Amino acid sequence: MSDSEPRTDGGATTIGRLRRNLDRMTVEGAGLYVVLVFAAAFYLVPIESGLVTSFKTGTAIIQTAPFAPPGPSGLTFEKWQTAIDTLLRGMGNSLLYAVPATVISAFVGSITAYGLTIPTWKKSYKAVVLMLIIAGIFIPYQAVLVPLTQFWSQWAQLDQVLSFVWALGIDDDYVGIVELVITHVAYGIPICTLLFRTYYKTMSDEMIESARLDGATLRRVYRRIVLPLSGPMFAVVLIYQFTQIWNDLLFTLVIVSTESSPAAPVVLILAGLGSSLEGQDFALRMAGAFFAALPTLAVYIFFGEEFAEGVAA
Amino acid sequence: MATLELDSITKTFQDGDEEIVAVDDVSLSIDDGEFLVVVGPSGCGKSTTLRMVAGLETITSGTLSIDNRVVNHVKSQDRDIAMVFQSYALYPHMSVRQNMSFGLEESTDLPDDEINRMVSETGEMLGISDLLDRKPSDLSGGQQQRVALGRAIVRDPEVFLMDEPLSNLDAKLRAEMRTELQRLQNDLGVTTVYVTHDQTEAMTMGDRIAILDGGELQQIASPLKCYHEPANQFVASFLGEPSMNFFDVALDGDRLVGDVFEYPIDDEVRADLGEATDLVLGIRPEAIKLVESKSDAHEFEMTVDVVEPMGDENTVYLHFDPDADPESAETLVATIDGFTRVSEGDSVVARIPQDAIHIFDGLTGEALHNRSMEDAADQVDLA
Amino acid sequence: MLDFYRRLYRTIRPSSGDGDEVRADGGVVSDGPATGPPTEPDRDATARLKAALDRRFGSDFMESSIFWLPPFLLMGLFVYGAVIWNLLISLTDYQRFENAPDYSDLDFEMYTRALADSGFIDAAVNTLILLIAFTAGTLAVGLVLAILIDRGIRFENSFRTIYLLPMSLSFVVTAQFWLWIYNYNNGIANSVIGTFGLGPVSWLGNQDIVLYAVIFALMWQFSGYAMVVYLAGLRAIPREHYEAAKVDGASTLKMYWRVIIPQLKGATISAAVVLMVFGMKAFDFLYSLSGGYRPPNGADILATKMVREAYANLNWAYGSAIAIVLFGMALSVIGPYLVYEYRRDNL
Repeated sequence: MSDSEPRTDGGATTIGRLRRNLDRMTVEGAGLYVVLVFAAAFYLVPIESGLVTSFKTGTAIIQTAPFAPPGPSGLTFEKWQTAIDTLLRGMGNSLLYAVPATVISAFVGSITAYGLTIPTWKKSYKAVVLMLIIAGIFIPYQAVLVPLTQFWSQWAQLDQVLSFVWALGIDDDYVGIVELVITHVAYGIPICTLLFRTYYKTMSDEMIESARLDGATLRRVYRRIVLPLSGPMFAVVLIYQFTQIWNDLLFTLVIVSTESSPAAPVVLILAGLGSSLEGQDFALRMAGAFFAALPTLAVYIFFGEEFAEGVAA
Repeated sequence: MATLELDSITKTFQDGDEEIVAVDDVSLSIDDGEFLVVVGPSGCGKSTTLRMVAGLETITSGTLSIDNRVVNHVKSQDRDIAMVFQSYALYPHMSVRQNMSFGLEESTDLPDDEINRMVSETGEMLGISDLLDRKPSDLSGGQQQRVALGRAIVRDPEVFLMDEPLSNLDAKLRAEMRTELQRLQNDLGVTTVYVTHDQTEAMTMGDRIAILDGGELQQIASPLKCYHEPANQFVASFLGEPSMNFFDVALDGDRLVGDVFEYPIDDEVRADLGEATDLVLGIRPEAIKLVESKSDAHEFEMTVDVVEPMGDENTVYLHFDPDADPESAETLVATIDGFTRVSEGDSVVARIPQDAIHIFDGLTGEALHNRSMEDAADQVDLA
Repeated sequence: MLDFYRRLYRTIRPSSGDGDEVRADGGVVSDGPATGPPTEPDRDATARLKAALDRRFGSDFMESSIFWLPPFLLMGLFVYGAVIWNLLISLTDYQRFENAPDYSDLDFEMYTRALADSGFIDAAVNTLILLIAFTAGTLAVGLVLAILIDRGIRFENSFRTIYLLPMSLSFVVTAQFWLWIYNYNNGIANSVIGTFGLGPVSWLGNQDIVLYAVIFALMWQFSGYAMVVYLAGLRAIPREHYEAAKVDGASTLKMYWRVIIPQLKGATISAAVVLMVFGMKAFDFLYSLSGGYRPPNGADILATKMVREAYANLNWAYGSAIAIVLFGMALSVIGPYLVYEYRRDNL
């Protein structure tokens, strides 16, 4: 900043000039921090207010400010208890498809990106395949919903294929979980491929060439060189995909459809939680929202860096 | 061990609508056990040529044979070659031992203990036995270089390919590795193609050197032959530091007439020139002698412009005309003994001996007359 | 299968006369037809076909196809296959509890119906408003945050983590928060404007306001994303540019406006594309806000209308037609973007 000062102001002494700059710096610096803290408050208040509200009794909600903590008399864990009771089975169901779908789509994305990045074939043909894949990231899912419903309900009779599973006493609604895994993998391939591709593009060409000259086939190069070096990117992709799949409502809505289904994922149950004919129970809604968000919040808090990298790519 | 034959190898790239010729009709044949250095300025196609031999680039036209087997469409991994890269290209997640075993594991069916034995032996040969369990990131540049070499050597391939393997090392280490590489290649006797832009490496390491420019092969011969009997002006200027002096001259009877001097030639030299009249006279800096006083037509009175002392020798920049603008005047560069005292502004007499001159065709650059190599290198054994 | 390859081979053959020097490769032949035991000439033919394909597409084409082709086909089936199927369905009259669409009678009836449906027109207009306002607002907030954070502040990581936090939450979750904030009696929004003597406002009940209330909530959730993209862009600008501008005597504001922001074009374009796509997917948020297919009055967008028509009203073909319109909107954003990236050699 001091560089922008003209050097020829003979009036002021060097020390005076320095002090003035210093003063201006602190005022500016302080202003900067004030703005940043206000912005932080803006991002945190909705979450904070939700959190305190989830511990409030019905009267406390009306009597205290929405972001103020409940007083001792207004404190209750009852809503959390209800939320957990209602959502727990949904959590289990969500994990049941989110985890396999995340792992499979990350792995498939890695393989696809490898095949489209490391081996040498004509760039112009590669570009066509890549464009089709990348465009797949941006397709609004509404454009595939009706066919998707048709496909799972009329064409792919998965519930009949899996009849041996139902024979074991598992509710046949769980076919929805299998369908969700396959659906999320298919629609997750584009973003996973793109993420891995940005990573593989930075890998040393000479190292890959060296491995091929050493007699390794493409399959062996992947297995022994590329896959072991993909660790950091797997962290990014797994975290990103898990968050996306866990948070998605649309596919669960059309594939599992009812929140009363034994296979209903947590987002589906949450969407209808706390609204009844008598009005909306906000404390319950907030408790439910927090409980449902726990896995993604945990992932975000522990792997914030990887999450940021995933969304920025 | 094998012979390697490049027959009219051409490589073109498509850049938009333009077609770029990277390697143009290069033919080379490399003997079994020979060390060939491919040298040229950057962008001359030397690396592309090497990469085609390795199978990392497709060949646009021409045939490539290893041991008389055409390998144009054979994949890299099936060509039985090993390559050392400029960046070393070590596998960062593997220990040195795993790096060196990788090629044997992938390309042979050897049992593990046999592979281990070979890796240990090679490690000993290269003096890296105590590094075998370390990761590449723990090694110095020189050590990484040795591992890269070891990884190539342990496979005992038909052909070694080396792409500027020493250029990431500092000067001292580079000189050491140069000697060591030569020793290794001698001991192992594996056919080697070595690409470099460094003329010292080219001159000192190879049995023969191939000089490329603009994708075309300029000359392939022993280093000394290329130095003393260059095929054309490009080769003459590329080899030697400081570079050969060139003067545009015209042939007038038995004299070469330049802008500021005339140089008489005898019939023997004259006979080499044929019909050409636009000529370039070349003389290596070290062939120029400073003498006491002008006594024949091959000696010129000159002015010292700049002296660059190098220790064992001085590089002296001379002008023909003492009053000329030093920026534009024709300069003659001479290397003289380090103890000879000259300083800026001195008037000296420089001798350009006729038995050391080169004459090139001014239009094609082709060498019409070269100094005789026997004269030039009387005490060197020219096997 | 084998027949197909043989025919293909015969058509390719003349253009690759030098196929004779190709060795019968023992490597990975991913197209290996599994019908019956291959006879010797057949294997030779596949090897030649493989070599011919490799020469046409590049040396690793066949060997690498095992990696990308199956996932590509799976993705292609679910994305492009489904879009084409959806287009077909939109041309039928499929509705109610019919088991399958009747493909024998195709027409554009559903599209003309959409044009006559004022609900559709409103939803389309709302979608455009949402896309433009949400994208522009989010980019602006993200840019300001990125510039502030890039000033070499302390606790940079903590601030960044806080700003990006809403992005990690599900639309379903954030909708609950905003429902509470916009609550007429006890919500924060009304208590904040109440301190200035304004309101209370029925944020979600007033048809003229609700869309902007939704946009504000979405901006809250995604401006952290824009910030991260801009931050990466800012970090890629060499320090010398800042210093040079300062030496030239430009004020801080001018320096950003004239020197730094123009260099963020690439970041702006890619962030804008992603944000528009998020905007088109705002369905989850609106669904959770109302707890059903019917979003608050005045906040209906094409994404919600499509799902409602198809899954609540069982007008499958009509829903498909709306989906195609939405797809067209998305395509008009992504298409130019992909061409742009391809031109920059960035794919």
